[in-house]
Amino acid sequence: MTDVVSLLLLAFGPLAIGLLLGVDRRITARMQNRVGPPLLQPFYDLAKLFRKDRRSTNRTQVSFAVAALLLQMAAWCVFALGGDLLVAFFVSGAGSLALALGAFSVRSAYSQIGAQRELLQMLSYEPILLLALLVLGWQSGTFMADAQDESMLFLLPLVIITFVPVLAIKMQKSPFDLATAHQEIVSGVYVEFAGPYYGLLKLANWFELALVFGFLSLFFWDQNVYVSIVGKSLLAFLFLFVTVLLDNSTARLTREQMVKYALTFGLGLIAVNVLAIIVEAAL
Amino acid sequence: MRSDAAVRSPWILHFDTGSCNGCDLEVWALLTPRYDVERFGMVNKANPKHADVLLITGPVSLKAAPRLKALYEQTPEPKVVIACGDCASNGVPFYDCYNVCGGIDQVVPVDLYVPGCSCRPEAIMDAVVQGIELWRKKVSGQ
Repeated sequence: MTDVVSLLLLAFGPLAIGLLLGVDRRITARMQNRVGPPLLQPFYDLAKLFRKDRRSTNRTQVSFAVAALLLQMAAWCVFALGGDLLVAFFVSGAGSLALALGAFSVRSAYSQIGAQRELLQMLSYEPILLLALLVLGWQSGTFMADAQDESMLFLLPLVIITFVPVLAIKMQKSPFDLATAHQEIVSGVYVEFAGPYYGLLKLANWFELALVFGFLSLFFWDQNVYVSIVGKSLLAFLFLFVTVLLDNSTARLTREQMVKYALTFGLGLIAVNVLAIIVEAAL
Repeated sequence: MRSDAAVRSPWILHFDTGSCNGCDLEVWALLTPRYDVERFGMVNKANPKHADVLLITGPVSLKAAPRLKALYEQTPEPKVVIACGDCASNGVPFYDCYNVCGGIDQVVPVDLYVPGCSCRPEAIMDAVVQGIELWRKKVSGQ
């Protein structure tokens, strides 16, 4: 049974993310009083990109695009097959780094600025996500993805909320969309990747998002498999909606503000939650 | 199916080659809730490397000509070039002027011309939808 679930998760996780991004664009359009693109638009975009002419600025760029995709896929495999959360987290981090290195390999000002901002974004979300996973592992007693069988909704509510800045950064949403700041640096890290290579990076982002939403879904669990699945999906949709709402109602922060706000907000909430647990245990 | 999916996401590059900004405003109007071209999957990418449809305005001043050529060359195939407005089509108010090339097609190959000074957003949308048909043929290699 678990093997079947793992394989289904492995295959359909990224597809679900594609659909989720379609929903995201629909909700964004509705919030701006527009009709918006079809639900399958992210898939159309990918299909289009893979049919474009293959063009790259240099070979290094291509290697790093492939590396980014392979690392994100590896991280997702580790997670979906029930492996160690921390391993998945660090492999995915290496994937983000490959993206930044790919952008650094091109002599384009926008690409370079985008890459530096990507690194700053990693500096902002990685401590939060790592601590959130550490706290999860501390409470459930294990870091294995398939052994998380406890609902953390009431035990770690503040830790769950810290997924908002993490998702905003990973989904390239305002106020944290610095690396791909459209109005300032066109599409930042992605600016010099054309056609299929941009498609590879988009796909890498899908795997990356699948992992983050996967981490988020671990915080809900129920004895009944169906309740569990519905609860996990609802949690994912709720966070998607909050991220989209935030995207449409806030302006982009500067680099310093991003690091400051994301870290104080994220680490602060986790610290308060951990303190509350310790104090409650002591009483 | 694959070629059908592949033409459902035309990404735009808009470039002003010396227009009076009349046509540019109409191009931007496409992205507003009233016209909402994202219905067709169109997104303004402002980046030749990601673009599929080039919406070019202006009579191409001599300074803009090499830049237009560079942008055209940086856009990967298959692509569609649309000349938006009378200036872009044949440079009309600036006809025979000393400092313009007199239309986009003097510098790069053009697929579709949108008339009007300035061209209406509805006309640009019509051109883009026709452009998608043209693009479908290019994608399937006809």
